[in-house]
Amino acid sequence: MNRREFLITSSAAAGLLALPRFASAAAGTIDLYSGSDANIVDLWNNVIRPAFEKAHPGVALKVTDAGDNNGLRAIADRALAALKTKTDPQADLFEQFDPRLPSGGIDAGLWVKFSAENIEGYDHINPLAFDTPYSLPYRGSQVLLAYDTTKLDPKDAPKSWDQLTAWIKANPGQFIYNRPDKGGSGGNFVRRAIHEANGRDPKKFKVDNFTTDFATETLTPALKILNDLAPALYDKGAYTAGNTQSIQLLAQGVVTMVPVWSDQVLQAISQGVLPDTTGLVQLTDLALCGGFSSITVFSNGANKDAALKLAAFMLTKEMQEAIITEIGGFPAISWDHISDDLRKKYADVIPSTIPTFPGGDWEKAIADGWYRNVAPGISRT
Amino acid sequence: MSTDTAPAVLRRHRSINRGSSIGLLLVALPVLLLAWLIVFPIFSAVVGTIFVRGPDGATEFSLASYRFFFTDGYSLGNLWLTLWTTAVCGILLLAIGLPIALYLRFSQGRLAAYVQALAIFPMFVPSIILAYALIRTIGPNGTVDLLLNAVSLPKLRTPYLTPWGPVIGLVWDNLPLTVLMLTAGLSSVSNSAIEAARDVGARPLRVFVSIILPRMGNSLLVTASFAVLGIFSAFTLPYVLGSASPEMMGPFMQRTFADMNDPLNAMTQAVITFGFCLVFGIFYIRSIARNREAQP
Repeated sequence: MNRREFLITSSAAAGLLALPRFASAAAGTIDLYSGSDANIVDLWNNVIRPAFEKAHPGVALKVTDAGDNNGLRAIADRALAALKTKTDPQADLFEQFDPRLPSGGIDAGLWVKFSAENIEGYDHINPLAFDTPYSLPYRGSQVLLAYDTTKLDPKDAPKSWDQLTAWIKANPGQFIYNRPDKGGSGGNFVRRAIHEANGRDPKKFKVDNFTTDFATETLTPALKILNDLAPALYDKGAYTAGNTQSIQLLAQGVVTMVPVWSDQVLQAISQGVLPDTTGLVQLTDLALCGGFSSITVFSNGANKDAALKLAAFMLTKEMQEAIITEIGGFPAISWDHISDDLRKKYADVIPSTIPTFPGGDWEKAIADGWYRNVAPGISRT
Repeated sequence: MSTDTAPAVLRRHRSINRGSSIGLLLVALPVLLLAWLIVFPIFSAVVGTIFVRGPDGATEFSLASYRFFFTDGYSLGNLWLTLWTTAVCGILLLAIGLPIALYLRFSQGRLAAYVQALAIFPMFVPSIILAYALIRTIGPNGTVDLLLNAVSLPKLRTPYLTPWGPVIGLVWDNLPLTVLMLTAGLSSVSNSAIEAARDVGARPLRVFVSIILPRMGNSLLVTASFAVLGIFSAFTLPYVLGSASPEMMGPFMQRTFADMNDPLNAMTQAVITFGFCLVFGIFYIRSIARNREAQP
């Protein structure tokens, strides 16, 4: 090959790379985008994709990591524009997304409405998991308290908010939670304090009942509770920068108890990051918040029918058990449909209720209120 | 002879002219990129924070976001912490870097090579890895605590999650560049000047104060401005190792932009940060320019 031929072929190859993704829009290849962490993308690539392609020959699945929720929002915006111009959005399915976004998407008919008619196994879904008919819950997780059983006897583990706060104050420096905007474990601990200050009624907070006055009224007493707690926390009120750092401090034996995500802590125990002596407990007066991740399907996607098959496939017993065993998540279907062995093994963490807290403007108000009022509450010099 | 040299000079002159036009062409691209990717965004950020789009869609002149920043105790606390961290890191960097650089300048042999390798090593460690390594060593129940415990000494209060956490991380992270730049600056001190001073009986301290320091002023300034520019807007180490509040400007900006979804205030914070960095940038450019003038 002389130099000219080399230049021609290499520039042609470069040009092909720069072309829009014609190839991936091929019929029979479902385009799935995920904004979740690496462990979830790995689950899809290593477990779900081979199983699904085996069960449905002729249909292929392509999993793309969209980075984060903002990445998914950009694709959803593009799909909404494509819906208006009746073109292919080049996406079929989101692994976890809130169909309330982009605003007006539901009214425009962007998302498929799920029901027992188009999804097999829809009636097996845990009633706690339902959010909107446009999102199909397929995995869940909840925030629990993880503690060191060598320092705290399981029978003394706090079972209510009052017992928990009493324990924190009686054992100064033994509890830490992360900054509420940097990970759900600390975030939902803060939200549990908000529930506590407002009559333990999760229904009081909705995504659309946010007003500045209502937020001031409801958040102020909760932030006061947390401020009051701060001097008894690790290092008189230090807060880790994320879920993982809290687990790390528990693993190093620095603190005795931290709030954790159920899936992360089960995975940490199974990988030996946390010792077997780690105990898990959930508050019984009102559980810490959690949530379910749900699939959304584009109504204008080129492979809508195949995507619906995939959505239904996720509700099968096989896949739901994989979510428990592979990533330590909760199944989205009721535990009655899970095999007895698994049910017994995870009896401690099976939730009877999973309270949730709305996002939207609440999220900003909670994070900003916490940073301004709780974090600098005391001098730490 | 003179008839031969005249055309040669002319020829050389012509080739220099052609060379300079090629040189201009060569720098045109980076200059355009600089204007497009750096200067334009700065102007658009400054304009965007001063001319604000009101709720009715009309653009109007307003300094409200700056007024908010400079009256908001929380924002000022963050700015103050950033200035404090930068100052402390800058002083520590010079205090640690200068002795190492002096040692490297005036000693030869295997040990000096090892010291140099060790001083440069942090350059090849990404800051996120460094952050986790520091949690493991100086963090609570980390290696330092274990060693102290082994010789029955009391536990130290760990700097992790306090303002000193990022200071330690940033000093470690910026040390290689400091040492390299100071060593380069020291190379302008000639051996003969030092030998001459020693011959007339100057002690090491005297040599340092009277011979080395006067020739180092410029490179000390350059080193300090470089360190300050890097530290002022640091993100990873203050985020992972530092306290939740007050926070340094880097994490604060990121949080305001992404979590609070408030681009206007994030941009205001960025412009203010840029303003502080600009001062040190001017120091740096002035000292470079002075250096150029000093050279024939």
